[in-house]
Amino acid sequence: MKKIYCNIKKCLGCGSCEIACAVEHSKSKELNKSIAESPLPVKRRKAKFIEEGVSISTGCHHCENAACVTACMSGAMHKDKKTLLTQHDKDKCVGCWMCIMSCPFGALTRLKEEKIVLKCDLCPDREIPACVEACPTKALVLGTLKEFESKAVNILRASP
Amino acid sequence: MAKPTGNPINDELLKIAAQNNISTVWDRFMEQEPHCGFGTLGACCKICNLGPCRIDPFGEGAQKGACGADSDTISSRNLTRNTAAGVACHSDHGRTLAKTLLELGRGIAKDYSIKDPAKLKRLAVEFSIKIEGKSDLKIAEELGEAILKEYGQQEGELTLTKRAPKKQQENWKKTNVSPRGIDIEVVQAFSRTHIGCDNEYKHVLEAAIRASLVDGWGGSMIATELSDILFGSPEPIRAEMNLGVLKEDEVNILLHGHEPILSDIIVTASQDKELVELAKKYGAKGINLSGICCTAAEVLMRHGVPMAGNFLQQELAIITGAVEAMIVDVQCIMPSLPEVAKSFHTKLISTSPKAKFVGMEHIEFHEKDALATAKKILRIAIENYKNRNHSKVSIPKEKMTLVAGFTMENIFYNLGGSFRPSYRPLNDAIISGRIRGVAGVVGCDNPKNESGMCHVDMVKELIKNDILVVQTGCSGGACAKAGLLTPEAAFKFAGDGLKEICETVGIPPVLHTGSCVDNTRILTACCEMVKEGGIGNSIDELPVAGAAPEWMSEKAIAIGWYFVASGIFVVLGTPLRVLGSKNVTNYICNEIEPLYGGKWAFEGDPIKAAHLMIGHIDKKREALKLKPVMYATA
Amino acid sequence: MQYVIIGSSAAGISAIEAIRTKDKVSKIIVISDEKNPLYSRCLISYLLAGTIDEKKIWYKPGSFFKDNKVEALLGIKADKINIKKKEITLDNKEKIKFDRLLIATGASPKLENIPGIDKKGVFPLRTIEHAIEIQSMLDKVKSVAILGGGLIGLRAAYALKNRGKDVSVFVKSGSILSQIIDKDAAGLMQKRIEEKGIKIFTGVAAKEIQGDKSANRIIFDNGSEIVGNGRDRSLLVIIGKGVSPNIEIAKDAGIKTNRGILANEHLETNVESIFTAGDVSETNDIALEESSMNAIWPAACEQGRIAGLNMAGENELYEGSLAMNSIEFFGLPVISVGITRPKSDKYKEIVKKDPSKNIYKKIVLKNGIIKGVIFVNSIENIGVIGSLIKNKVDVSGVKDIILEDYFDYGKIATLVKKSKKGFREPEFKETIMTL
Repeated sequence: MKKIYCNIKKCLGCGSCEIACAVEHSKSKELNKSIAESPLPVKRRKAKFIEEGVSISTGCHHCENAACVTACMSGAMHKDKKTLLTQHDKDKCVGCWMCIMSCPFGALTRLKEEKIVLKCDLCPDREIPACVEACPTKALVLGTLKEFESKAVNILRASP
Repeated sequence: MAKPTGNPINDELLKIAAQNNISTVWDRFMEQEPHCGFGTLGACCKICNLGPCRIDPFGEGAQKGACGADSDTISSRNLTRNTAAGVACHSDHGRTLAKTLLELGRGIAKDYSIKDPAKLKRLAVEFSIKIEGKSDLKIAEELGEAILKEYGQQEGELTLTKRAPKKQQENWKKTNVSPRGIDIEVVQAFSRTHIGCDNEYKHVLEAAIRASLVDGWGGSMIATELSDILFGSPEPIRAEMNLGVLKEDEVNILLHGHEPILSDIIVTASQDKELVELAKKYGAKGINLSGICCTAAEVLMRHGVPMAGNFLQQELAIITGAVEAMIVDVQCIMPSLPEVAKSFHTKLISTSPKAKFVGMEHIEFHEKDALATAKKILRIAIENYKNRNHSKVSIPKEKMTLVAGFTMENIFYNLGGSFRPSYRPLNDAIISGRIRGVAGVVGCDNPKNESGMCHVDMVKELIKNDILVVQTGCSGGACAKAGLLTPEAAFKFAGDGLKEICETVGIPPVLHTGSCVDNTRILTACCEMVKEGGIGNSIDELPVAGAAPEWMSEKAIAIGWYFVASGIFVVLGTPLRVLGSKNVTNYICNEIEPLYGGKWAFEGDPIKAAHLMIGHIDKKREALKLKPVMYATA
Repeated sequence: MQYVIIGSSAAGISAIEAIRTKDKVSKIIVISDEKNPLYSRCLISYLLAGTIDEKKIWYKPGSFFKDNKVEALLGIKADKINIKKKEITLDNKEKIKFDRLLIATGASPKLENIPGIDKKGVFPLRTIEHAIEIQSMLDKVKSVAILGGGLIGLRAAYALKNRGKDVSVFVKSGSILSQIIDKDAAGLMQKRIEEKGIKIFTGVAAKEIQGDKSANRIIFDNGSEIVGNGRDRSLLVIIGKGVSPNIEIAKDAGIKTNRGILANEHLETNVESIFTAGDVSETNDIALEESSMNAIWPAACEQGRIAGLNMAGENELYEGSLAMNSIEFFGLPVISVGITRPKSDKYKEIVKKDPSKNIYKKIVLKNGIIKGVIFVNSIENIGVIGSLIKNKVDVSGVKDIILEDYFDYGKIATLVKKSKKGFREPEFKETIMTL
């Protein structure tokens, strides 16, 4: 299955992925209008600082043995039978935060008022996820793990 | 390949570009999409090394830069620096002309001359120079000195600000934005926006406004006046526009950039008999000069030199394969040109000590040996004709006629007919409601909008509603391509009231008034309309509005500001980069209206934007208690 | 191959799904003493609170057994296991043979020997039946007494307060939630709960429940008492004194048990072909590094999954469980993982708190490795710390920033890359390859 991977060697931590994610999940899907929406759209991806000059952009990794699916007591977090991606059913979510407790990447965002969580949904309405398109260095790629690994190896070979 | 622009000429040439693997501005623009959200919203600050800092517009991440600046401070500082950069361009443009005037007066710049001595004298009087008993050259020298003095002035006022109606001058004094000198306001716009200096956003923006006044009532206005003095005050003239003006059988030379001290001399040099003979020797029928961007407007309105294209078309002009040389000086010249020219025989020649490009031959141009340098450059171009690959030539058929060259002075004659030189007829037309009002639609073209079509759509909507439109620069070029700058356009597109006036006087419904520095002609026209009376006692009371529907450059920001600060409502097609700060946005779009009478608005749809302007103009008419518009359409 | 599973809650359901990923053909029989076992036990208190409607409680659709080709014997109890004959006897005397057996009988609420505990109006809260019974009392009863200050007790208290009742909680120990969080964290939660009108009494245990047929008074060991103040003076009493694992069937059959049924790292019991998972099983605790019981939903699901895979012939290793709890009352969330109340001085604690914001964060370390964590209110990224506990990472280099607000996965990326034994899951390859 195709997932979003981040090549840390190319990640600048610029945050363009965060903005693109928020805009894609806004009502208007336009940058200038989305910042005026109420409530503001919520991003599901974050550029995280590792050390000087090194960052990683992370969101839901759609883990094979997803800890959040194991922990979810309402069945809201589940694996899609066809794509094997980790899906979240907002209607079933009771805001118990067990997924936040379990996720090794911290990929869940808590909506305190509505008492549900949000996470990366791989932009179901788009061919290419918004963050992947927005990444100015193409650090973010959509592909299988094999595809990412072969791309990464080439970059590792090329970089000093 | 870039997606089609919707403009058939451009799209044809883009196909050729794609076939030759040439990247154009449209391809590179798409590669940049989506543009950085932080930059777009003005939420990125690169001023100091604690950064670069970002403010999260969605509220989750950092809300302050490392130094503590919030989005209000960051946006206002960025906007002020952008404004100052635009002002600096126009200041330099005026400075170059002032220096040329001075050197002419001193006998150094011998290749130039005083083409409008009456204007020279009028301007000298404005600058408090005694003209009795002095030769033109002497007056020129003193005027040049007086103007350059204002560049270095530390205290006092700028002479030309006194042209503005009293109310405008009072507004500026009250809000502490009356400019003291030209260079000082640009310098301080930068020094104040250094880290840890001016932080309160309204105060920061004062620097932007003050700098912009230095442009509108300083550098640009000086440039307009001195260009008329040195190269001739334009008269309405018919010319042609679009890439079809390139000729298959002549040496095509493109002038690109901004300063007429270069382009005008080249026009003169191109008439040199020796050079024409040289062209014929190589098999060409003659020398065909045409222009891109503002310098094109300068020679268009004074000499009828055709305009080949506007900003976005500069690469396409080379892609026709028919251009022997493109001679450039400063501003709006894409550094991609040499790469594009590699596929063709076109020679690119840079001329300004301030602007060098990788891949261009640099032949520096100075006033003191202007004509000789111009001839040297032309010779290179002519000799290149033999290298033209005629099988690679693809000149589009389209070109449009336009009437250009309307200025503050000659509008007198046109609107009043030959025997009644005054603004009375214009004011009467507005009072009677035949003309609803006047709109200035100016500025660049931008792939973010419609690569020029927004101008056309907006202008058509405005003239449909009996609004007389004045244009400059690339905007004028865009509408010229659509045939709007001819008297005939009035019959096709204008509302009944405007149609009547155009018919009677014989003018187009859309008046081309020159290059981007000539936006000051619009300011001067507004002053005259106020003086003439009946439609407002200050610029902010006039039924006028402004728009730059596809703005691109920092100069456009400076121009917009000086219109706003002078009392005019300005609509932009994409927002200024301040939306990340609600306070700054609200300030420049609402709160400054009572202070200056003008304000900004942002509307991407050209029709909606046109109606914002129409609504504004109607409001002004109401406030003036004028009769309703004669032929209501909106 | 015939698979038999006793128990159809979290562990049983997960085992069924796991078996079916490997073996789509063989027969699976599941036995459950509940008529409708496919609900989420954890959502019972939400149902009682009225914050979800009944539809949401169903963890799997009604067609689950059919979809997975499982023969479900519901409302039936398994009585005996004959290890030699590999045979189960049900309470209706029927006998069923098995090739592989999973004992996932779960646990039952502890009902202490308090006189009067069998009166009407006294309930534990574990099954959907309990919730329905309690619901039926709600229009008659006004006062509620909760015996026990643990998870069940407080969840019941919150639920019934939400339904408009007068709720009092009686806790034997010195603080609420003493099994899972420390005194300081418990104090913040207690304050919030009391602010919202639930009364909490610590250090008291019930001595006797009085009343005719229905409970209407409780007498406590410190002499205090509580009476019902509804129309008929009746009292609703919820017992939240923990659960004890249902090990009888295994014990009787001769399978090795301790507190729970003992499971090896394949989740197999000491008897070949007999596996165990869920609240009834005793497995390795990753933090304690000894065998323990963590009767929580995520552990039951994970154990059921691995047991199921191994029953179907795979060779999956179960690393062990961790104590894990997430609760939120009146807008104040508390999450705890691992050892939160260390009992020896071999453990170090690092605390960061901001009482004005109700924020309390603590990690418990041993030899540089995190053993436990509590986050109150600011719960973001606690899963990252959980992953450090699971992978037994030496965090000496980052312990100063773990409790900061900006702590996130990025801050442990280097540790992930350096780790020699942990972070084997494919999801960490991205970091290991490109950092």
